[in-house]
Parts: sequence; structure tokens; C-alpha cells
Amino acid sequence: MVKKYKLENAVLASPTSLFLLAILGFPVILSLTYGFSETSFETLRSPEFSGLQNFRDVTADKTFWQAAWFSLRFGTITAVLECALGLALAVYLAPLIQKHSWVVAILIIPMIVAPAMMGLMYRLILNEFAGPIPYYLYSWIGSSPAFLSPKNVFTTVILAETLQWTPFAFLLFLTAYQSIPQEIREAATVDGTRPWRLFWKIEFPLMLPTLFVAVFIRFIDGFRVFDNIYTLVGSGPGGSTTSMSIYIFETFLRRGEIGKSMAAAILLFVSAFVVLSVAQWLLRRASR
Amino acid sequence: MKRRIGPRWIVFIIAAFVMNFPVIATFATAFKGPREVNLNPSLWIEAPTLENFATVLTISDRLNVYDYLWNSLVAALIGAILPMIVAFPLAWPMVRRGYGRSILFPAIVNLRALPLIIFAIPIYLMYATVGLLDTRLGLGLILAIVNLPLTLMLLVNAIADLPLELEEAARMDGARTGRLLLRVVLPLCRPALITTFVFGFITAWNEFLFGLMLTTSDAVPMTVGASFFFATSGGGVQWGVAAAVMVIAALPPLLLGLIMYRRITGSMVAGAVKG
Repeated sequence: MVKKYKLENAVLASPTSLFLLAILGFPVILSLTYGFSETSFETLRSPEFSGLQNFRDVTADKTFWQAAWFSLRFGTITAVLECALGLALAVYLAPLIQKHSWVVAILIIPMIVAPAMMGLMYRLILNEFAGPIPYYLYSWIGSSPAFLSPKNVFTTVILAETLQWTPFAFLLFLTAYQSIPQEIREAATVDGTRPWRLFWKIEFPLMLPTLFVAVFIRFIDGFRVFDNIYTLVGSGPGGSTTSMSIYIFETFLRRGEIGKSMAAAILLFVSAFVVLSVAQWLLRRASR
Repeated sequence: MKRRIGPRWIVFIIAAFVMNFPVIATFATAFKGPREVNLNPSLWIEAPTLENFATVLTISDRLNVYDYLWNSLVAALIGAILPMIVAFPLAWPMVRRGYGRSILFPAIVNLRALPLIIFAIPIYLMYATVGLLDTRLGLGLILAIVNLPLTLMLLVNAIADLPLELEEAARMDGARTGRLLLRVVLPLCRPALITTFVFGFITAWNEFLFGLMLTTSDAVPMTVGASFFFATSGGGVQWGVAAAVMVIAALPPLLLGLIMYRRITGSMVAGAVKG
């Protein structure tokens, strides 16, 4: 009986397994081959084994470390901002949403818009001739910062990302907040607990697991950012908005350094794997 | 416990306005005529016109919106449906027999958290070899990989919520596994399948990186095509036209998402919490 199931399970799993193998299996072998070889678009079919040379090239590349540092800062800052804003919005608006749930639909619109499209929209609204933001800033305070200048571009992309993805954090916190049993709040209120104290002493600790999950997901998404930055400013003035993803993309398509970009992708994969494993181990331990 | 609602409305309106500002401004710009765009950057439209949309929808050889829309539609349909077909038979033994719960399930689910660029380059090289570069099928296949993790999770959740009794009754009638899955489990999963489809379609439609890397002319999706309107050579960007393109590109997922927002929000949260 057990053996029969074993075969049947394998059959049932085969579509997924074959699909993954076909689309990802071969590329994995390919990337390992190229990662350790001397390759360009001209010598695609005859990669020459070069050991760790590509990895040495990557780690010696200042731009690689700048990209890593950019992604790390970008992921951290946006994750913290989004979660702080999302949490505040969720808790404050929860009574309103209880009565009018359509409010949520309006707040999640930014998430349904493609990040690439959002980047393009920012190009429009920040444009000094056609954009409403410089227009209103000029007419109200008489000046408008150069949003995409080397000095300001980092803040600009941070704000754009934060405003698009705060709704995600908001949604997670809203669900967590709504699932706190009403009796707990009532009991606390009967005991004379004030709202502020109720939040910090009771509700917030109950939402801590959600906070970890939200920060983690938003960090991962921020770290791997590509679409919106790429469509808004590309790699930015002087490469100042080169995220890890943009670095690998440009090394590959613009410069055709296949081996080097593969090596960078492998390094990125390994670090993502380590971070994921550690985070999930921590989450499991915390939930125990 | 009485709480005042009034100030909450104000906070909601401000938050909604700020977060949706790019979308609102783009919609406003799309309805301004070519003269007004340069004279009046405010949100107020002096003389609303559909001129920009007419310009966009008039076929031109170089920037053909119909092609972009068709490419996006085909690729997004493949990207949304294929993972459902392959994941459904796997989700059932995962729930009922604990099959693959220790390795296969976490491995697939974690795919979601990896930077897509890691796959993009080797897939580019593989596609170049097998001739899938710049094809709707090629783009659809990789979008299916992107959607696979969440699809599997949502189907696993859905099957876990089904009552066992129905399956047991079907077994008593002598149904084999294949029949049981197709005749009993699949119809019961319909609500989850719809949610999964909508979510997968929106994700696939909105994808940009693979569209950018894997297509050049024949299979360019709408997200990438829209960016072409910003890269016009000489004379600068025609903002009204560009805004109209963005409206057209953003509308399908926006409408789907707003109609189905309850299901969408539910699956977003489910995907986050179980991951």
C-alpha cells in the first residue's frame, strides 16, 4: 500500500518536477559552467574553464560592492519605513475599515500597478515641465528640489518604493490586528487600560510575529529592487542607484561580461540562501 | 468602546491621495491635449480630450500598442494557468499524505524570495540556444515559474480546507485517484482556482525584468512597450501620449484587482504568513 502511494505521489508530482527541471535545471548547470569560465557572447559555445577568476573579478569590482551596499541600505530603509507607516495606518484606520471595507481597495491600488509602470509615472510627475509635483512646489513655496540629481536621487527612489509598498505592510498588519480576539480588548478596557497602553502592552506584542514577517518580506523585495528604479532613473547619475539586480543586468547585457555577471548572480544566490535560511530558522524558533 | 470616525476619514483620504498620487496624476495628464500638457501641469484638466488615446491606438509601425497588449495577454495567460495545471496534482498528496513537505514544498516556496535576476541570465542563454528568445511562449514559461510558488501555496491551503468526507465517499464508490482529483477535488477548489488565476495574471502582466531581457521585438509585453514611449528620439517625451499608454497598460490589472480586491488581499496575506 505504502509503495503504491509512493509511485502515485511521484506521478502526481511529476508535472511540477519536470517543469522545474526543464526551465530551471538546465540554467543552473549553465550558470555554474559559465560562472567558472572565461566567456563572452562570441565564445558562448566554447567556455574556457577559468576557475575562480570571475569571482575574483567581481569581488575586486568597486561597483559590485557599491551595488551591494545600495541594495542593503535601500532594502533596510524601505522595509522599516513601510512597516512603520503600514502599522500606524492599519491600527488607526481599523475602526473605519470595520464599517467601510471598500476603503482597503483604495489603499491597495499602488500594489496592483506594475512597479515598472510606477517608475515611469514618477518620471512624469517629477518632470520639471509637465510634472505636477514641481509645479505645485513652485507655486506654493517658490522652489522645487532636483529630485533626480545625484544628491537627491536616493531619497527619491526610497520615497517612491515606500509609497508603493506601504499598502502591503498595511494589509498584513490590518489582518493581524483584526484577528486579535475582541474579548482581549474588552477585558483590558473594562480594567481601565487606556488606548495607548492597550496598544503597546497588548496589541503590539500580539502583532510582533507579523512585524518580523513584514520587515523580512519587504527587506527581501527592497534588496532585489529592479523595475521601478530602472524605469525611473536607470542606474542613476554616476551609477548612484545601481542596485544588485541592476548591476548584474548591466554587467550582462550592456557589457557582455557573461562570466562575471554569472559569478555575481551566484554570489547573490548564496547570500540570499543564507539569509533566507537564517531568517526562517529564527522565525521557527520564535514561534515555538 | 466608542471611537471617533471623523479624523480617521481625513487620515484615510490623505493616505489614499499621497500613495495613489502618481496614478491620479497620470490619469489626469492622459486627458490633457498636447498644448495643455506643456502649459498646465496641475491636476486640473482645462479641456479634457481623448486625443492622446486616439494617438496611442492609431497603429504605428514602431510602437504598436495592440501587439504589446496581445503579447502581455498571451504571456500572462500562460504564466497564470500553467502553474495551476502542474501544481494542482502535486498539492493534493502534499496535503493528504504529507508528500514533499520537508524538501519540495519549502524549496518551491522559497523560489519566491530569490532575486529574479539570478535566473534571468542563464534563462536568456538557454532561450538563445533553443529559440525561445523573443517569443510569447518563452516569456509565458518563465512567468509560470514566477507564479509557481504562490500558486502551490494557495492550492495547498485550499485543499487543506476541504472536508475529507467527500473524498472518502468517492473512494467508497471505487474512484481512483485521478478520477477523485478531477471529479471531486477540482470542482471544490473552484474559488481558490479563480483567486489564484487572478493573482497570477496580475503578477504576470506586471512583470518587467524578464520582458526586458527576453524580448526584443516580436513578444514585447506592455510594461516594456510602455517604457519605449519615454525613450523617443529627439524632441523629448510627449507626456500626454506617454500618460495615455500608462493608463492603458495599468488598466487591465487595475480593473481585475479592484473587482476582486477581497480575494486578492486574502491571497496576499496568505502568501506572506505561510511563507
